[in-house]
Amino acid sequence: MRLLIIEDEARLSEILRSKLGDAGFTVDTAGSAADAKAALELINYDAAILDLGLPDGDGLTVLATVRRLGKTLPILILTARDAVEDRVAGLNAGADDYLTKPFAMTELIARIKALLRRPGGVLGITLDAGNVRLDTVGRELAIAGRPVRVSRRELAILEQMMRRFGRIVPKAVLEEKLYGIDEEPDSNTIPVHVHHLRRQLQTANANLAIHTIRGVGYILTEDKG
Amino acid sequence: MSRRIKSLQLRLTIELAALFLLASGLAVGGLVYSAWLTAGSVADRELGLRAEDLAHHVLLDQAGMPRLELSPSLRRAYDAAAEQSVFAIRDKGGRLVQASAPEFGEMVGRWPAADTEPSYFQLSGFGPSGRDYSGISVQLDSKAGALSVVVAQVAGGDQLVHSILREFVFDIAWYVPPFVAVALLLATYSVRRSLRPLRKASAQAGNIGPESISIRLPDADVPTEALPLVVAVNRALDRLEQGFAIQRRFTANAAHELRTPLTIITARLDSLEGNSKLDALREEVARMNRLVEQLLCVARLDSVVLDVASRVDLHEVAEEVVGSMAHLAVAAGRSIALTGADHPVVITGNAAAIGDALRNLVENALAHTPADTEVIVDVGPGGTLTVLDSGPGIPAQDRPRIFDRFWRGKGVRTEGAGLGLAIVMEIVRAHGATISASERVPCGARFELRFRPA
Repeated sequence: MRLLIIEDEARLSEILRSKLGDAGFTVDTAGSAADAKAALELINYDAAILDLGLPDGDGLTVLATVRRLGKTLPILILTARDAVEDRVAGLNAGADDYLTKPFAMTELIARIKALLRRPGGVLGITLDAGNVRLDTVGRELAIAGRPVRVSRRELAILEQMMRRFGRIVPKAVLEEKLYGIDEEPDSNTIPVHVHHLRRQLQTANANLAIHTIRGVGYILTEDKG
Repeated sequence: MSRRIKSLQLRLTIELAALFLLASGLAVGGLVYSAWLTAGSVADRELGLRAEDLAHHVLLDQAGMPRLELSPSLRRAYDAAAEQSVFAIRDKGGRLVQASAPEFGEMVGRWPAADTEPSYFQLSGFGPSGRDYSGISVQLDSKAGALSVVVAQVAGGDQLVHSILREFVFDIAWYVPPFVAVALLLATYSVRRSLRPLRKASAQAGNIGPESISIRLPDADVPTEALPLVVAVNRALDRLEQGFAIQRRFTANAAHELRTPLTIITARLDSLEGNSKLDALREEVARMNRLVEQLLCVARLDSVVLDVASRVDLHEVAEEVVGSMAHLAVAAGRSIALTGADHPVVITGNAAAIGDALRNLVENALAHTPADTEVIVDVGPGGTLTVLDSGPGIPAQDRPRIFDRFWRGKGVRTEGAGLGLAIVMEIVRAHGATISASERVPCGARFELRFRPA
């Protein structure tokens, strides 16, 4: 997996390169908008991290150029600008995610992985979280290396949670993904499925935990207990 | 007067009153004096005329001796006023020709002969009734040669002067006190009216504070005398506002500039293999990150006017905040829940700012609620957001101060910088909303934001 980091602060760029390298990415860096445009045109990166304050122009122009070239790679904006208007401008210009400085490296890596786990993303075919692996094409689930059989809907729920690992999955999103337009989900069916799924993960010794956030949805995290 | 009078109006009133009293006193005095003078000269002239009249009626008789021959009407007049008006006439040799009363003639007989230049005299306690007289003594020519004529008139019988004064007091001086009163009223009214713009300006000045530094004093209708002060105050406010702006920009820039090095420190620390000291360091850096973030938030709230005119769905805001903070709660071994209305609750405001406020409240709640308990965000259908925790609650004596900047509870673990609730308060104020902190039963704190309905 190849990433491009567009960041003019050399020290930060270096740390990002090293940490993302440790996380298994191949990393290139660009220190200016011009370098970034050239690199993005030449190489098909799997994702890019973009700083907005560049010495030769706004990062948003890089974003616009890339999208004009028809490249759909996920781009995460990493910036010190945290006003809502800046976020909206960035996301409207075609960014896929937005993280403000200062940030935790773990969160950056998690977010990039989440971007890559999107359907069509590099990691979107096989999802990994803790000791759980889900093949989204073959619809096969393995926990600690052993295959586990769960129902179609529970697998779909798990897939949504693994794609947004560590972040909230609103109940509405699950309902939307699980049921067609014609099917009216019973308000109780999702909690029931989650309950089953939780038990099965436990039984198979998965080191993941599904937390219920009452009134909002669910969150899948690594189980520290 | 030991204490200086500070009120312009009172001072003007007092000074004007003093001036009016002095001026009217002088005017009245002057008029009375000149009336006296006039009356005096009129009396003198009358005496002179009478003396001439008497001299005119002195003739030489057959014996060649001077004799007074008054017409019957004059004689009657003199007889009637024998007490009021006395006279004595002497010839060139000093011999008495005629006197209205013998004792007057006797007294005058001792006087030296009169001069052609009239001389005036006063007699006190003369005659049987002992009255005061004023008179004239003059030498006049007559058909009987030069005569010394002395005419006197009772001083008290000066009817003319009295009537002039009486007329003056009753017809003219009567006007003085009402005139003074009206003039004072007019002066007071005009001072009040011209000071009214100043009162308006001071009311306006009362509204100026750190949050409303852009207010200026109105200079329309301000009296020209006070205008330089108003203009100078407004200029001073301009400079202050500039200073404030620089200060705020500085805070914002400083916080902004701190972000990159903090990011680098955070990342470097993350890349080191951990021991407990490193964890402590990470915690410190995380705290610093949080502080910088809050400082930026405060600087932003201070420097821009919050647009609070949009439609905001409180349920959506709460859902977003709870969702985005869920992983923090889970990581800290706590839980978070959204309860209350499950439909849109629409108010007028600024969604991002309300989200910031709620995030700060939830952050506090997560910091204070014990492990394995739940922080609840409740959306009230009437336009409220309530955050409940199961922590120690807020001591009643601290409640009025918790919204001050940099205030922190005593004996509380010093987690934050004390900016969180101040940020919440700013946002609440900008929305015209209210916030209340209270006790949750059986334990914990309860913060309620109540917004005005859309």
